[in-house]
Amino acid sequence: MKLKQSLIIALIFVIIGITSWESYWRAQGLHPTLNDEKALWAMTRAKVEEATKEDVIILGSSRAYFDIQVGQWKNETGKEPLQLASTGSSPLPTFHDIVNNTEFNGTIIVGVTPGLLFSTTYPKAFPWERPQSKVDFYFNRTYAQRLNFLLSVPLQQNLVLMSADEEEWNDDIDLKALLKRINWGKLDTLPPTPPFYNFGDVSLPRNMSMMPRAATDTAFANSIIKVWHFFGKGSPPPEKDATTAFFMHDVKKFKERGGNLILVRPPSSGGVRIGENMGLPRDRFWDSLVHVAQVKSYHFEDYAQLKNLTCPEESHLSLEDANFFTKELVEILKKDNVLPNHKTK
Amino acid sequence: MLFNSLSFILFLIIVLVLYYSKLFGWTNKKRMLLLSSYVFYGLWNPPLVILLWISTMIDWTAGKQLAVEENQTKRKMWLILSMAVNLGFLGFFKYGDFLLENFVIIVNSIGIDFQAKPMDIILPMGISFYTFQTMSYTIDMYKRKTERARTFLDFALYVTFFPQLVAGPIVRAKDLITQFYEEKKATSEQFIWGLFLLTIGLFQKVVMADTLLSETADKVFGSKELLHGVDAWVGTIAFSGQIFFDFAGYSTCAIGIALMLGIVLPDNFRYPYASLGFSDLWKRWHISLSSWLKDYLYIPLGGNRHGITRMYVALMLTMLIGGLWHGAAWTFMVWGGLHGTYLILERLQRRYIPFEITKWNGIFLAFITFSCVNITWVFFRARSFKTAWNMIKSMFYAQSEGAKILDTFSIIKVTVVIAILFLCHWIMRNTSMKEVSLKTPPYILGIVWAIMTFLIIIAQGSGEQFIYFQF
Repeated sequence: MKLKQSLIIALIFVIIGITSWESYWRAQGLHPTLNDEKALWAMTRAKVEEATKEDVIILGSSRAYFDIQVGQWKNETGKEPLQLASTGSSPLPTFHDIVNNTEFNGTIIVGVTPGLLFSTTYPKAFPWERPQSKVDFYFNRTYAQRLNFLLSVPLQQNLVLMSADEEEWNDDIDLKALLKRINWGKLDTLPPTPPFYNFGDVSLPRNMSMMPRAATDTAFANSIIKVWHFFGKGSPPPEKDATTAFFMHDVKKFKERGGNLILVRPPSSGGVRIGENMGLPRDRFWDSLVHVAQVKSYHFEDYAQLKNLTCPEESHLSLEDANFFTKELVEILKKDNVLPNHKTK
Repeated sequence: MLFNSLSFILFLIIVLVLYYSKLFGWTNKKRMLLLSSYVFYGLWNPPLVILLWISTMIDWTAGKQLAVEENQTKRKMWLILSMAVNLGFLGFFKYGDFLLENFVIIVNSIGIDFQAKPMDIILPMGISFYTFQTMSYTIDMYKRKTERARTFLDFALYVTFFPQLVAGPIVRAKDLITQFYEEKKATSEQFIWGLFLLTIGLFQKVVMADTLLSETADKVFGSKELLHGVDAWVGTIAFSGQIFFDFAGYSTCAIGIALMLGIVLPDNFRYPYASLGFSDLWKRWHISLSSWLKDYLYIPLGGNRHGITRMYVALMLTMLIGGLWHGAAWTFMVWGGLHGTYLILERLQRRYIPFEITKWNGIFLAFITFSCVNITWVFFRARSFKTAWNMIKSMFYAQSEGAKILDTFSIIKVTVVIAILFLCHWIMRNTSMKEVSLKTPPYILGIVWAIMTFLIIIAQGSGEQFIYFQF
C-alpha cells in the first residue's frame, strides 16, 4: 500500500478544492463574517458577571442589535456596551436572566420592538425559546465549546466557507444548506414562506451591522421586507397583559437594587411601521408600558432628528444611520443625565 | 471534547507532537497520555473526572488484591466491591431518575399518593463505557483470566485512554494494558492509515449522519401526527443510517487516533447491515459490547450449557439488559426484547426449518434482517411508546391518509443513501477496508480521501454530539 502517495494526492486535491470553493463564493459576492451564534452571545453574557455600576447592557430584538452600534457608542461614551440583543427575540427572557441570575445594578437599555416584546411568555414560542436557548447555553456550555468558539473566530473572520449560521439563512453555503436549496417536490405551505437571506454582518465585540447590499440593493431589501410582512400577517395576537406583568416583576426587582432601566423604541418605517401602528398602536402598547414601568423611555418618533430615519428593509437601519442613531441616542441620554459616568468631551 | 470539533484537532496535534518528540521517555509519554485523557474528559465537565478517578482507584485496588488473595471469600468480596461501586455509579447517575419515576408509578398504582421531584442528575459522558471496561478487568482478574496491570499508570491509562474513553470500543484489559508495557510508535504506514480512518470516521459522522440523515430522522420522530407509511419508513431508515454512521464513525475515529499513537484497538463494526440473521448481526454491530455481554452476562447466566429453555431465558435477559444499558427508558427494554425475540426465533428456525444460505438467497436474507433491525430502531429512537406505536402503525398499516411531512428530495436522498449503505455492507461483508484499500490504486484512494475531507470541511458540522455519548 502506497499510503504516502495517497496522502499527498489527497492534500493537493483538498487544497485545490477548498481554494476553488472559497474563491467561487467570494466571486458570488459573499464575504467573511462571524456567525451570530449562541457561543458569541454567551461570551458577551459572561462579561455581565464582572460588570459594574458603570456598565451598560443592551437587550432587545434585532432592532436594538442593528441600530445601536457598539463602536459608535464607545466613541461617544468611552465605555463599550455589552450587546446582548438577539434577532427575532423577546427581551424578556434575557432581562429575567440578568435580573435573577446576576447582581448587576448598572444600566440596561431594553430595545422595544412591540411585536416581539409583547408577543408571548409561552416558553416554547419562537420569540421566547430563541433567547432562552442562549441563556441555557451560557449556563451549560462546556470548556470545550468555549475553546471551539475561540478557535473558530479567526476562521469565520477570514473564510467565507465558514458560514453555517444558526439562523439557517437561505443563502448559507454549508453542505446541509446547499442541499436544502434543491427544490424537488417541496411540500406546500400556506402561505408559502418567502426566502430569508442574511443581511447583517457580525463582528467582535458582539455587534451587528446591516450589510451594504441591504441598504443599496432594493430588490434584496424587498426580499427581506416580504419576510417581515409574512411574519407580521402570521403572528398570533399579542399577549400584552401577560408580557407586561412578567416584565414588571423583573423591573421592580431591578429598580429595587439600584439598577437603571431605559426603554428605547428604535425606528421602523414603510409597511412594517403601518402594520405596527395598526396591530400594536403606540398608545396601547408603548405608552402603556412606559406608564407602568416608570423609567426613562425614548421613542424615536419623539425626536426630530430620529423620526424621519428610513429603514431600507422597513425594520432596521443601515450602518450609516445606525451610527447616527447611536450618536444621537447617546446625546439624548447624556442630556437627560441617565448614562453612568460618560466621558467628557 | 468531540472528535468533530476544532478544539479536538488542536488537542490531537499537541498530543501527537508531545508523543513523538524526544522530550519524554515512555513512562512520561504514558503520563502525558493520561493527563491528556483527563483534559479530554474534563473539558466537558471537570468535576466528573473524579468519578473516573474513583473507578480507577477501586478497580486498581481490587485487581491488586485479587492477584494475591487466595481466600475465595475475600476474593469474592473484592469483586463485589468493584461491581458495587461501578454499578452503583451507573445506577445512580444513569438510572436514578428512571428508578424514581417508576417507583412513583408503582406506589401511585397501589393507591398511595406520592410525588417525587425528579433528581435531574447529570449523566456523566460515556459512563456506561468506562464502567463496563473497568469491570471487565476486575472480573477477569477474579476469574484469573488476565494478569494484574504491572503499574498503576498502565491501569489508569487503560481506564482513561482518550480515543475510546467515552464511546468505546470497550477494550479488554489483556488487549490494551499489555500494549502499554513496551514503547509504542506508529510506523509511517500505520500513522497515515490512522489518519485515513480518522477521516472516514469524521466523514461518517459529519457528512453522512449529521448532514444527510439526521434532519429527516428528527423530523419524522419529532412529529406528533400519524404519518404516511412512506414518511414513517423513510424516517426510520434515516435513523438506521444515522445511528450506524454516528457510532461506527466514532469507533473508526477512535481506532484511527489510537493507531496514530501506535496502539491497536479492535474493530467495533463489521458491515452489520449485511448481516445474515441476528446472531450474525451481533457479531458485526457494536462488537465490543456484544462480546462483553456474552462473556460477562450470557455465559454466567448459563449460556447454552443448561438446556434450551434456560438458554432462551439467558438470551432474553442478556438482550433486555443490553437494551437497558443504552438508556434508562422502557423503550430501550423493548428494543432489547425485540432483539432477544429475534435471536430466539432464529435459533428455533435453525432447529426446525434449517436451510442453506447461498449467494442467491443471501442478499434477500440480509435485506430481511436489515428490515427487522429497522423495526427495532423505532423503539430505540422514539422518546415515548406513543410515538413508537404511531410509527409502527404507519409503517405497517401503510397509512395512505397519514400526514406527509417529507419532501420528495428528502425521501430520495435518504433512500439512495441507505440503499448504497446496504449494498456497500453486502459487498464488504467478507472483506475489510484495509484489504480493499490494498487493491486500490494510490491515486484513487487519494482522490476518495480528498473528496471526503472536502465534504467534511464544507459540511461545517456544528459539533453535534455523538449519539452514543449519552449511553
